Amino acid sequence: MSALHIAIIVPFLFALVIPLLYNKVPKIHTGWFVLILPTILFGYLLSFIPTISSGETVVKQFAWVPSLGINFDVHLDGLALLFGLLITGIGALVVLYSVFYLTKKGEALHNFYFYLLMFMGAMLGVVLSGNLMVLYVFWELTSLSSSLLIGYWHHREKSRYGAQKSMLITVTGGFAMLAGFSLLYVMTGSFTITEIIGQADVVASSALFIPAMLLILMGAFTKSAQFPFHIWLPDAMEAPTPVSAYLHSATMVKMGIYLVARVSPIFSGAPEWFWIVSGVGLFTLFWGSFNAVRQTDLKSILAYSTISQLGMIMSMLGVGSAAAYYGYEGGYTAATIAAIFHLINHSTFKGSLFMVAGIVDHETGTRDIRKLGGLMTFMPITFTIAIIGAFSMAGVYPFNGFLSKEMFLESMVHALHITDFNMQTFGMLFPVIAWVASVFTFIYSMILVFKTFTGKYQADKLDKKPHEAPIGMLLPPIVLASLVVLFGFFPNILSHSIIEPAVQAIYPTSLTGIDHFDIHIYAWHGFDSPALWMTISIIAVGLILYLTLSKWQKIYQFLRLHKKDPINYIYDGILDKLVSGSAKVTNLQMTGLLRDYFVYMNIFLIGLAFYTLYHFDSFGVDTTNVAPIPLYVWIIVGVVAAAAIAVPFINNRVASIISVGFVGFLVSLFYVLFRAPDLALTQLLVETVTTALFLLCFYHLPELRKEKFKPTFKWINVIISVGVGAMVTTMALSAMSFGNKKPFEAISQYFIDNAHDLAGGDNVVNIILVDFRGMDTMLEILVLGIAALGVVTLIKLRMNGKEDV
Amino acid sequence: MSNFLTLPILLPMFIGTILIFFAKKHKLQRVIAGFSALSLLGVAIYLGYIVYTDPSQIITLEIGDWPAPFGIVLVADMFATMMVILSSIVGVVCLFFAFKTIHSDREKFYFYPFYFYLLTGVNGAFLTGDMFNLFVFFEVMLISSYVLIVHGGTGYQLRESFKYVVMNMVASAFFLVALAYLYATTGTLNMADLAERVQVLEQEGILNGIAILFLFVFGAKGALFPLYFWLPKSYYGPPAAISALFGGLLTKVGIYAIIRVFTLIFVHNTEFTHTIILILAGGTMFFGVLGAVSQFDFKRILSYHIISQVGYMVMGLGVYTPLALAGAIYYIAHHIIVKSALFLFAGATQKITGTTELKKMGGLLKTHPWLGWLFFISAMSLAGIPPLSGFFSKFALILAAVQKESYYIVVVALVVGILTLFSMMKIFMYAFWGEPKISQDKVNRKEMFALLRPIIPLVVLTICLGFFAEPIFQYSLGVSEQILDPANYVNAVLGK
Repeated sequence: MSALHIAIIVPFLFALVIPLLYNKVPKIHTGWFVLILPTILFGYLLSFIPTISSGETVVKQFAWVPSLGINFDVHLDGLALLFGLLITGIGALVVLYSVFYLTKKGEALHNFYFYLLMFMGAMLGVVLSGNLMVLYVFWELTSLSSSLLIGYWHHREKSRYGAQKSMLITVTGGFAMLAGFSLLYVMTGSFTITEIIGQADVVASSALFIPAMLLILMGAFTKSAQFPFHIWLPDAMEAPTPVSAYLHSATMVKMGIYLVARVSPIFSGAPEWFWIVSGVGLFTLFWGSFNAVRQTDLKSILAYSTISQLGMIMSMLGVGSAAAYYGYEGGYTAATIAAIFHLINHSTFKGSLFMVAGIVDHETGTRDIRKLGGLMTFMPITFTIAIIGAFSMAGVYPFNGFLSKEMFLESMVHALHITDFNMQTFGMLFPVIAWVASVFTFIYSMILVFKTFTGKYQADKLDKKPHEAPIGMLLPPIVLASLVVLFGFFPNILSHSIIEPAVQAIYPTSLTGIDHFDIHIYAWHGFDSPALWMTISIIAVGLILYLTLSKWQKIYQFLRLHKKDPINYIYDGILDKLVSGSAKVTNLQMTGLLRDYFVYMNIFLIGLAFYTLYHFDSFGVDTTNVAPIPLYVWIIVGVVAAAAIAVPFINNRVASIISVGFVGFLVSLFYVLFRAPDLALTQLLVETVTTALFLLCFYHLPELRKEKFKPTFKWINVIISVGVGAMVTTMALSAMSFGNKKPFEAISQYFIDNAHDLAGGDNVVNIILVDFRGMDTMLEILVLGIAALGVVTLIKLRMNGKEDV
Repeated sequence: MSNFLTLPILLPMFIGTILIFFAKKHKLQRVIAGFSALSLLGVAIYLGYIVYTDPSQIITLEIGDWPAPFGIVLVADMFATMMVILSSIVGVVCLFFAFKTIHSDREKFYFYPFYFYLLTGVNGAFLTGDMFNLFVFFEVMLISSYVLIVHGGTGYQLRESFKYVVMNMVASAFFLVALAYLYATTGTLNMADLAERVQVLEQEGILNGIAILFLFVFGAKGALFPLYFWLPKSYYGPPAAISALFGGLLTKVGIYAIIRVFTLIFVHNTEFTHTIILILAGGTMFFGVLGAVSQFDFKRILSYHIISQVGYMVMGLGVYTPLALAGAIYYIAHHIIVKSALFLFAGATQKITGTTELKKMGGLLKTHPWLGWLFFISAMSLAGIPPLSGFFSKFALILAAVQKESYYIVVVALVVGILTLFSMMKIFMYAFWGEPKISQDKVNRKEMFALLRPIIPLVVLTICLGFFAEPIFQYSLGVSEQILDPANYVNAVLGK
């Protein structure tokens, strides 16, 4: 246990105290207490910057379940530190924001902050863990807390739907990831990330390489809302806006990117990895931006925008993986550097935009851009923040988004240099998709700002009169917006301290080639830079398309995208079919009829038993020890059989009882013949009593109904009955013949030998019953006693089922 | 040799009998029953302790001093004592829950005697080292369960428990038939002796058929696919305390017997037998969870989940590696605790809302936050969300299956995990989220706490089983290594 371990655990412990604070100190908004923690943690993590940026890694170990290879090892490197700072830094801002966003009255604040702290701890756990399984544990906890936060206003139908959707999709991905990690364990014998990376060549040459990769990517893609798993994110917007800002844009959805970056030393270099990561990323980038334009809800626009931006970062990591193939001088590392830089930038501008959306919602009562407009005069500060955030997102100078967008475009163009992986054929798609998606990004960024803050103010459509938000709510987005500007002008304050160590964590083997990545980010690349011309054309085309939006918006209706994302039909369809289909399957088996149950069970038994006998060739009849059968025994056998066969054909209760009794009495005759008079007496007694009892009861029952069955039904029953009989008989004969062939002395000989001397009796059966195996007898007596007591209860106790639970 | 071994069997048997005489005095019954259940737990834990610290980690007792394999022998190894401890824990919890919930009419009609007789049968089945004696203990357990499941005699109970009784009787009949075959081929009934003789016979020919017959018999008791038809509807009828006891324990006795027989006796054709077991495990998991997905009733969902989870335990046996069996054993422990807790939560919820139908409930989280969150923890544990007990047990199973390259079962296990989560979310969303649907609350704060008090230890256990997974897993691994080497058992019983 080290201080870093404690930093992960403290949020959970603090979460447990929250309900207490909420109840005991109702006067102070619980958020104020919560705020302390991320602030301290942020400061604590900041103190690691000098160590980490000098290229060191902090590793602390703690054994948790070593026999399963699960150790709670903390592994703090550049990548972990970057995420840690995002989690705590933005966490602190979001908590501050939430204090003003959620009122003390009527809100279940204890639940809210409990989930939020649980989430924070889980996130720190994910990024700081050096063990894949511990990472997984925390990963699922983030899914869980995210889901609980989405369902925070659980009286709303939509919140519940969103919560369930996010839970199902992300946990499904998580389970796939678990399988992927297990495969890695099978290949390398370890869950420790550094050890697995050390054996990357073993993994690469294994047949399980591709399955493990796909499974782990499934986890990453579901979490980071990559197409086609992105559909949970727009529905996650039902969560309170601070949550959307924190989980669903700045931190949790970046976990997939974190994971891809974390495991890329294992997988990168493989063409499959390159294509899947960059391909899925690019398509998601396009899909998200294309769909964001058609949204009318501010948060929906932001949700699709987040999807799109995540795809963008993902695609850069994909292109960056080429560096593992071509070496680190090939310039492909630039894509990874851009990915990390954009990840930071996205958190700043998207976080501020979400907070703006929250302010608008809070102050006007709606987020629908069709009702909004002209808010500029009412909330100038909010408007300024929105401008900064949106322009950064659109990639406009001088904001940080411009820089990373240029780097992105540059790296997509640079990807054309890749000569393998079939890139000659499909490579052109990279810059083309990047350009098209950027155009749409520009358009929705403009929509976001101008449809909300400019245009005509529609007072009649709003519930309240808008005014500027309180300072506490403005402060967090102001901080983020300032960062947007700061990073825009001085990007290099990040490059050595944060970005370089993070990139080194992604290329851990690179340092054998070069000392360190010389990262220098600058805005001006000269007139020969393709990115510059791409940016200019994006802005020009974007502006034209924004101004003519109403003319071409019909395209969404034409493509049937205007109602909901078509992937949702698949999700809803699967869920519907799942419930109705499983009901069908279940009702087919659980008919409530004993005869059906026995049909299934007996078919199974007969099939399996005969298959086994056949498989081991164990049929056998052995007649060596068989005594001669006199004629009268044959006759009795015939009569017993006839009486038994007659039972199903009799339609009268009394007659069938007599027939069954007949069988019983004749069986006792067998005991007489085989010289077991005591058994014969017992059997006679039992038969007499049961037959008499049956007759007494059945006298009071109505006549049997005549039931008509189809012939097939009857024949199936006949076949099954005969089958069970045949199976029991075959097995009995085979067992006997087996026993004859390989004789063991039966334990009964001991009873015969010792009954007199040791147990003092001559009737061996009695001695067995009362002495050798007296315990069996005692328990059988108990069984009879319980049965008797049970009968009394059954007759006397009549309840209606409503008295108790 | 230790006479202490008889206590987990004799204590509940005598207490059950004594309680018959005080049937009309329900307060006195409660006092006696409560103390006895707690002392039974103490006995079980002490037995577990002496077995664990014993050099051979197996303690035997020859009943009536008749030497094995001729007389009946009781065998307490680590697996058996673990099961006895678990059954005693659930025994205590469900009993104390019953104090708070069941109607006094039931108490007058020998509810507690049946309860203790059931524990007699369950503990005996775990401890016996003799196949025929196992049959007898099964009978004790089943006859008590027949009575308990129909206790109260409502129309629904009479209809469904009739099917329960008939199907179990048929399975018992096959049990006897299988015993006869086994005796005909090997001439013995002592498990250790059987292990030796089957080994000498190299488990040839008909012995495999007999093995399959035992699989059928125990599979029917343990609710394996496709033999589980008796379970879902019959568990719905009795009061929650009984559903919880049954849901936690009864099927696990069948599973225990399967694991015992297929690690001790029939272990020489694992390619065949254990592959079949693995296939059945997949079917059990899958069809069980489909049942749960299709239901919209608290108790019914839980009943179907028993089936799907039995599949996981049997999956561990089917994979048949030390890790897999350790996972299965861990899973059994986890399941007994969590499943009982969930059934008790269903009872507590029913007490508040008067129904078990999910669509008639809503918003309980607001009115009963403790109930909601305790249920949520247990539900997530059942679904295998880390770091609760369900996760580690499932993870060990999946890891073992991956190592054995049984990928199909891994896929099934993971898909079933997701569907489990889905159906648990369903309960949570319908019952605990949303708008409150009941106008007046039948249970006040104090009563609520009294209801939850017996369940809380189970929830604490599922959390501890997760956080302190290492010692638990070490123990499971110890159990699994012990039972995977039949020589341990044989030597301890036959004294070689």
